[in-house]
Amino acid sequence: MSVEPFNRLVKLAARAFYDDITTKGDNQPKTGRSDNRGIAVVVLDALTRRQWVREEDLAKDLKLHSKQLRRTLRFFEEEKLVTRDHRKETAKGAKVYSAAVAATGDGLHTGRDGDDKIKLHTHSYCCLDYSQIYDVVRYRLHRMKKKLKDELENKNTVQEYVCPNCGKRYNALDALRLVSPEDEYFHCESCNGELVAESDKLATQENGDGDDNARRRRRDKLKDMLQKMEEQLKPLMDQLGRVKDLAVPEFGSLQAWEVRANAAARAANGDSGSTDPSKSSQGLGFGGTPMPFVGETKVEVAFSGIEEKGEAIKLESGNSPMKILPPWLIKQGMNLTKEQRGEVKQEAKMEGTSSTVDVSDEKKLTGEKDDVKNLQDEYVKAYYAALLVKQRDQEEAAKREQELSNRNISDSVYDTSSERQVGMKSKREDVDEGVDDVEWEEATPAGNTGESSKVHDLNVQADALEDDEDDIDWEEG
Amino acid sequence: MFFHIVLERNMQLHPRHFGRDLRDKLVAKLMKDVEGTCSGRHGFVVAITGIESVGKGLIRDGTGFVTFPVKYQCVVFRPFKGEISEAVVTMVNKMGFFAEAGPVQIFVSNHLIPDDMEFQSGDIPNYTTSDGSVKIQKDSEVRLKIIGTRVDATEIFCIGTIKDDFLGVISDPGATS
Repeated sequence: MSVEPFNRLVKLAARAFYDDITTKGDNQPKTGRSDNRGIAVVVLDALTRRQWVREEDLAKDLKLHSKQLRRTLRFFEEEKLVTRDHRKETAKGAKVYSAAVAATGDGLHTGRDGDDKIKLHTHSYCCLDYSQIYDVVRYRLHRMKKKLKDELENKNTVQEYVCPNCGKRYNALDALRLVSPEDEYFHCESCNGELVAESDKLATQENGDGDDNARRRRRDKLKDMLQKMEEQLKPLMDQLGRVKDLAVPEFGSLQAWEVRANAAARAANGDSGSTDPSKSSQGLGFGGTPMPFVGETKVEVAFSGIEEKGEAIKLESGNSPMKILPPWLIKQGMNLTKEQRGEVKQEAKMEGTSSTVDVSDEKKLTGEKDDVKNLQDEYVKAYYAALLVKQRDQEEAAKREQELSNRNISDSVYDTSSERQVGMKSKREDVDEGVDDVEWEEATPAGNTGESSKVHDLNVQADALEDDEDDIDWEEG
Repeated sequence: MFFHIVLERNMQLHPRHFGRDLRDKLVAKLMKDVEGTCSGRHGFVVAITGIESVGKGLIRDGTGFVTFPVKYQCVVFRPFKGEISEAVVTMVNKMGFFAEAGPVQIFVSNHLIPDDMEFQSGDIPNYTTSDGSVKIQKDSEVRLKIIGTRVDATEIFCIGTIKDDFLGVISDPGATS
């Protein structure tokens, strides 16, 4: 859900595949000074800590020469790990980006000096493309495995034939010339001897000449390599599996991202003050491109707000940031997390979000939910009271029975009662779960009566109560 | 793979054809000369579909033959490495089997036949699975993957494999007849 597993994926992939990539051309001599292996890993790692970043800034942060960085980034672009965007912009246009960076608040970008001196330059931006990275890494692994396996199984190799008499070698492409009308074997063109397929020879002559040994060694090597690959890339594959079902973090295009980040910043500052950069950008930076994202800024607030805090991003990031989260969707999601977390904590959190997201519908819904919650609390209390009473009654009844039948065995009474208590405890948990279900999907779990989805209908509670009590009777009977 | 391409050829025409139907004669001769031939570059010429243009003829000194540069559209067939193709088995022997996909000869060696198929010699030599459910013999139709080609100036020879998913017999002549 959050970007974190994906970052881990990127880091693992970087170390696995881009460890010893040098961006120098082959014609240049590789002296110790120009050896820049490992730079790829550093750049990728740096990118995992950023979203969209101007390449100059990145170069400055990494203390790299911008040319060197650009060469690395171009390599990654070809490898489809990174998306890049180039645009001509004025000083003001650059400000939009700066504002956006400030909004993401990762603290890595110090304010740049000399913004205003920039006249009209082409600036390049880059960003990790997580969804593509996932596919690229998977494809790469697949190809590696397939290649090794094919070689191991001799799948696509051309069969070779040897004449045992004169040692002449043929391969399967010569087959048409070699086939003889008399029998079903291939015959040597020069001495008419019967040809032997080479791997057969390997099988028959266990300790053959050096050539055969080389062949076998090669096979062993391949097998070894495959095994090594399996175990060395296991962390990467595990991470791929972990990431498989998660929603991929999307930053969108550079422009969309800027608009969003600015909007987030504006909202964080309480809709005041920081509106200028984005306004100025509309005229200059974007060249009058229509921006379909303006209308949605309100909703994005909750999303980036949470991300900013560095909390584990919960449900909001699960949906791609472009989409509006409709109130009903938010509600369902909340309940889902409630299942996972404690109820009390959840309540607090729910209030928190409802205060940040000022959609009127949302409030109504949370109000409704509070109602439900109260009712449920009451229900739980009532249930426990009833349970206690019932239990006491039964205990007394049991005692009476015991007394009647046999006064001697008092131990057994103790036993049964204690047993019952254990049973009751587990029962209680069941009930809790039942309650959770009720609020989770608004349809009643005990709702066999066909009630509509109104949870605050007392009938449902009664039903549930009855059901539970029935259960108890059945267990003890 | 089939391609529809435009090729050019210099046709020599005997003076006796010079008349009203010179053009028809030229086309007929072109078809006779070209169709069914193989060039290493373009593959087998399957059929001529049309004449693009006939250039100016040039009378040869001495013989009286006239050379016309003719551009024609034709369908060519050229096998590629990695291509999946369907072929008819023409011969089965211990070393594997030969099959034909149109004009192309394909050899599938016994190493590239699935391990569970074994060679059965006899009246009709064939490759059969242990349970006898799949049988490759003469006139069987197989789907195979071309894994190597030898392209000479005048012929193309391929080797194929049926040791992969979805490859092998696609219809058994014994089962249908």
